[in-house]
Amino acid sequence: MNHKNIFIVIPALNEGRIIQDVIRDIQKAGYEKIVVVDDGSSDDTFSKAQELLPDTVFRHRLNRGKGAATKTGIEAAKILGADIIVTLDGDGQHDPSDIVKLTKPIKFDNFDVILGTRLLNPKGMPKHKILANKIGNFFTWYLYGLWVTDSQSGFRAYSRHTTEVINTQSDRYEYDSEVIREIRKYKLKYKEVPITVRYTEYSMGKVQKQSFLNGLKTLYKMAWNIIS
Amino acid sequence: MKIHLYQIAVIIVSSLMIYQGLDRYFKKQKNQSFLKLLIRVIVWGGMITIVVYPKISMSLAELIGIEGNINAVILVGFILIFLIIFKLLNAIEKLEQQITEITRKDSLEKIKK
Repeated sequence: MNHKNIFIVIPALNEGRIIQDVIRDIQKAGYEKIVVVDDGSSDDTFSKAQELLPDTVFRHRLNRGKGAATKTGIEAAKILGADIIVTLDGDGQHDPSDIVKLTKPIKFDNFDVILGTRLLNPKGMPKHKILANKIGNFFTWYLYGLWVTDSQSGFRAYSRHTTEVINTQSDRYEYDSEVIREIRKYKLKYKEVPITVRYTEYSMGKVQKQSFLNGLKTLYKMAWNIIS
Repeated sequence: MKIHLYQIAVIIVSSLMIYQGLDRYFKKQKNQSFLKLLIRVIVWGGMITIVVYPKISMSLAELIGIEGNINAVILVGFILIFLIIFKLLNAIEKLEQQITEITRKDSLEKIKK
């Protein structure tokens, strides 16, 4: 198994300013198979991404949320023949040099899912984000029964088998926690790997990221998924 | 038996609502089902029954185990509203998932060709 089989999936919403840098960074790290899903952006995210990736940029006509965009990207990667799928955020906060740490255990140790975690090495992470993350972890554990150190991280790697087994329904940010539920449900072999996060002025300034209100919405949706 | 104004108003409004439901159902209008008709008859018919025979609410209160007939009626009303909201939220959730599914299929069209 080589780089050809590793697909990088980037869900993106209004990342026109930075999406080309994110793609180039990943390409510099040695990964050519990149799928971008523009989740109904109102800016030029789609055209900017398509300049660099003519065939593997997909567009949601309507904004359906990060979870929905990630799932679309995973579906696309599967159709294109992926063996390992890595998801990372479109705002440049994830360092592509960490991809190898996430894919290695799947390639060589038969792991199913690798979760990139910011909290094993929280250096530089704002305190409010650490707190929000811990609250998210607590509720993920309470509702879904599996304790992980970063339930909201979007930097993850999945084996093809995993993507065929897990069945997520959530469209928004609760998707990340739902994956944790599926890991437990299907007894998937998983591992947490520390990742470095680049908190730039750009990534911190985005309004649609996980705010306190969005956090509450995520929590409500997680609870709703259980009772409905 | 003395009839109050509110009883007449509730009977008129409820009867209209039931008539409308029956009319839609028997004219086989789109999106009409027997379940919808049944819910309509139970909700509005229940209101007519309670305003015509207020003593029924006492039996209801006794049955539920709540002191005060008005409290019992309000409680049952809340439960009904809760059930309706639950059903609505479920329907919205289902629609949201269908929209996402259509959006996904549309976006992946170019590689499935």
